[in-house]
Amino acid sequence: MGTGNRTDSKRASAEVSRRKFLTRGAAGVGAVAVAGTVAPEARAQGTIKWDYTADVVVIGAGVSGLPAAIAARDNGASVIVVDENFDIGGRGMLSGGRVQVGGGHALQQKFNIKDSADQIFNDWVRFDHEESRYSDRDLIRIFADENAALYDFLIENGVEFIEKPIRPPDASTVDRIFVTKEWHIPSQVYAPRRGRNGSGLVRRLEESARKKGVQIFLRHEMTSIVREKHNAGRVLGITTMNGSNPVNIAARKGVIIATGGHTGNVNFRRIFDPRLTEEYQQACSPYVHQGADGELAAMDIGASLWSTANQSNSEGAQITKTRHVGCRWGYSTLVYEPDSPMFAQARATGLTVRDWQDMIFVNQSGRRFWNEVDGSHDFFNAAMGWHGDKTKLNGGGPIWAIFDADAVTREKWKPEPPHVDSDGWFFSADTLPELAARIKNPYQREPMPGAVLQETVNRYNSFVAAGADADFKKPTPLHKIEKPPFYAAWTTPILHDTLTGIRTNTDSQVIDTRGEVILSLYCAGESQGGFAQHGLARCMVFGRIAGRHAARRQLADVSGGQ
Amino acid sequence: MNDEGAPVHLAVNARLPIEAAAGDEIVLVARASCAGGHDRSHLFVEITAPDGTIATHALAAHADGVSETARIALRAPPRVGEHRFQLSLAPHEIAGTRYREAVLDVPVKVRPQTTSLAVWDVPSPVVAGARFCVKAGAKSTADCALAGRVIEVCDANGSVAAQGTLGDAPLPGTSALYWTEIGLTAPTTTGVASWSVRFEGTELELPHDAAATSFSLAVVSAPAHRLTVKVVEQETAVPIADVELRLGPYRGATGPTGLAEIALPKGRYELRMWKVGYEAPPQPVEIADDAYLEIAALTVPEEDPDALWRM
Repeated sequence: MGTGNRTDSKRASAEVSRRKFLTRGAAGVGAVAVAGTVAPEARAQGTIKWDYTADVVVIGAGVSGLPAAIAARDNGASVIVVDENFDIGGRGMLSGGRVQVGGGHALQQKFNIKDSADQIFNDWVRFDHEESRYSDRDLIRIFADENAALYDFLIENGVEFIEKPIRPPDASTVDRIFVTKEWHIPSQVYAPRRGRNGSGLVRRLEESARKKGVQIFLRHEMTSIVREKHNAGRVLGITTMNGSNPVNIAARKGVIIATGGHTGNVNFRRIFDPRLTEEYQQACSPYVHQGADGELAAMDIGASLWSTANQSNSEGAQITKTRHVGCRWGYSTLVYEPDSPMFAQARATGLTVRDWQDMIFVNQSGRRFWNEVDGSHDFFNAAMGWHGDKTKLNGGGPIWAIFDADAVTREKWKPEPPHVDSDGWFFSADTLPELAARIKNPYQREPMPGAVLQETVNRYNSFVAAGADADFKKPTPLHKIEKPPFYAAWTTPILHDTLTGIRTNTDSQVIDTRGEVILSLYCAGESQGGFAQHGLARCMVFGRIAGRHAARRQLADVSGGQ
Repeated sequence: MNDEGAPVHLAVNARLPIEAAAGDEIVLVARASCAGGHDRSHLFVEITAPDGTIATHALAAHADGVSETARIALRAPPRVGEHRFQLSLAPHEIAGTRYREAVLDVPVKVRPQTTSLAVWDVPSPVVAGARFCVKAGAKSTADCALAGRVIEVCDANGSVAAQGTLGDAPLPGTSALYWTEIGLTAPTTTGVASWSVRFEGTELELPHDAAATSFSLAVVSAPAHRLTVKVVEQETAVPIADVELRLGPYRGATGPTGLAEIALPKGRYELRMWKVGYEAPPQPVEIADDAYLEIAALTVPEEDPDALWRM
């Protein structure tokens, strides 16, 4: 089988590839991925003709990959970074830029914040918190020890922070979040003016990496990681596709997987939670697709998953409410305005919800299922519960926000384009039965019965009159849904963090299913298993560790030891 | 039908029988083909509607051995039941071969249009025995003008409590919701009371199904006392405006000074507040006279770990 065929195999297996997103917009709805991406022949080194060679090859130019590349370069290695996207940054580009970095660094000292590596360790091995309970404590130890150094590294590489500490809303016990400054060129921020301060983080790192001589190959989609033998020997490099052209890149010292996680790969995410079926969209789409590419390629050559309990903990931000309703990708703080380069694919900004009291949520059958103001995992469990669809037993199906003209007034919304996507994600009608009949969406498998929706709303309105929600204990149900016209807006929960992935040791070296190091292969960031901290810091800490370790290896080690 | 000549197959791009509501548009494409795959794009298909009217449509395109018309818009008959359109292609000759007439019956099952209702501006609470008004509107799926039609409101016993005649113009902001205001009297017993609402879709130009819905409100005793509530932020003591307050069915909201006044009768209640970004536990309240109380609300941060960070 030739390279072209291998790529076809990869394409067929990817749920919705990055390239498809960029060229086809909303295409691929409902597609299901198939695990296993690379034909075994791809791994036989004899068939590979290398187009480029570097000491260290990094897959992914995001929050893990850029620090990995810089650290490798700082330690004398030549570095090539590949990314499937048309620009750098990954999800970091669209992040709020909240870096949970502590350990007693200079900025913490400036605010008299008492923190230390030991305090970070103690916080993130807490047994009494869902997000720390399942941590790999070996990884936490090195993460804690490297935290203050990460802050120094970021400053040295030009990253600027707003000088205001924030208390993390997780297992942490001290003020440890500092926000980076948004990139100053709006046209290079894919959601400008909406607090996407992470753009300042990744753009500064990109700037520094390029200055230091890191080569970044955009639009290069990794298709396989090449190992000496199928499940043995060291990793030699990677194969990529640049458009329709195969490009193979050899790595003298190491390949670093920094591909950003698996959230967007339906088949892969269901390994950890079978409820996460196709209707759940991925945060930061359509700019970034978390397709599990790194995980699948690593598992194909023997890598193990690790610390998988983290993915299904009941505290983390792996699933969130859709805050901007009436569009496909209404992730919490991310809004693509009409002047965003991504707007043509995003299609609407969504209606940003100020108060969840202004609506009820119904499932595809038109029935309420939980207290709408709840944002806990109890809500998500209810949303993903089985609602009686005998042809779809997993996943909870679409969730629709139902509201009326009075709610539109209270929320100060304009329920029209560009705020809503009327092509399947937002509907309006003069009455509730007609509203139900109009709901047509790729994930709405059966028509919503109008009589059921009307009865649901009438019953809810009686709770508002009585002052108590007899069904779901919504505290103080405030507003009836009665004033025409009526609206239905997509508000199905949206998936965010990847909290498990490939097993590594404390040097970020990938470990196989037998507990042995896969020589010359590293993993960092959301594709790495270990602990469930939300956000940027764990990506950058382990990216640095991976880049540094790979670069410092002697070539003699590469062919022999670790 | 003349049976002489080779056969031509007629088909449409719809599953038969076609199901449609009375008067709805039916869009279809007619296709003609034969064993020889000949091009018939110079011929015309004749369509006879159930009422006997006849229209012709050109076979406008030919591909893969099939000639087809452009999209044809038909109108479902305005009567409920089973009807049929008849498509025919006259006998013709192509390349020396004679083709006989082709005929296709297209059955159409016609259902009534539906109507639906909305009731709004329902006050709550209402004092037992007091008069109140609601607004009610009806909508036809065919956007029929419903002006002059009657909406009935029935009490819990099913007796007609009031009627309203729909006005001449749809409610602003809707496509065809015709509406009226209806006056009613609250029952003399307290509690949540419900009314059913119905609309008979009879004697319209198109047949319509009837519609029904319901609405409810809280019926309460006449308030005798005034509860004044002040809501302040717990740490700063700054008054909080626009806080929604509830004591069972009784309601109020704070003004700019953090004050709200709620009229209610003697009794025991649980006072609850709601404003995004604040929380306070429910407070038991016993009303025996005019009263004043203060709620100290705690400011709560946004839940989302990526919440927008503001300077």
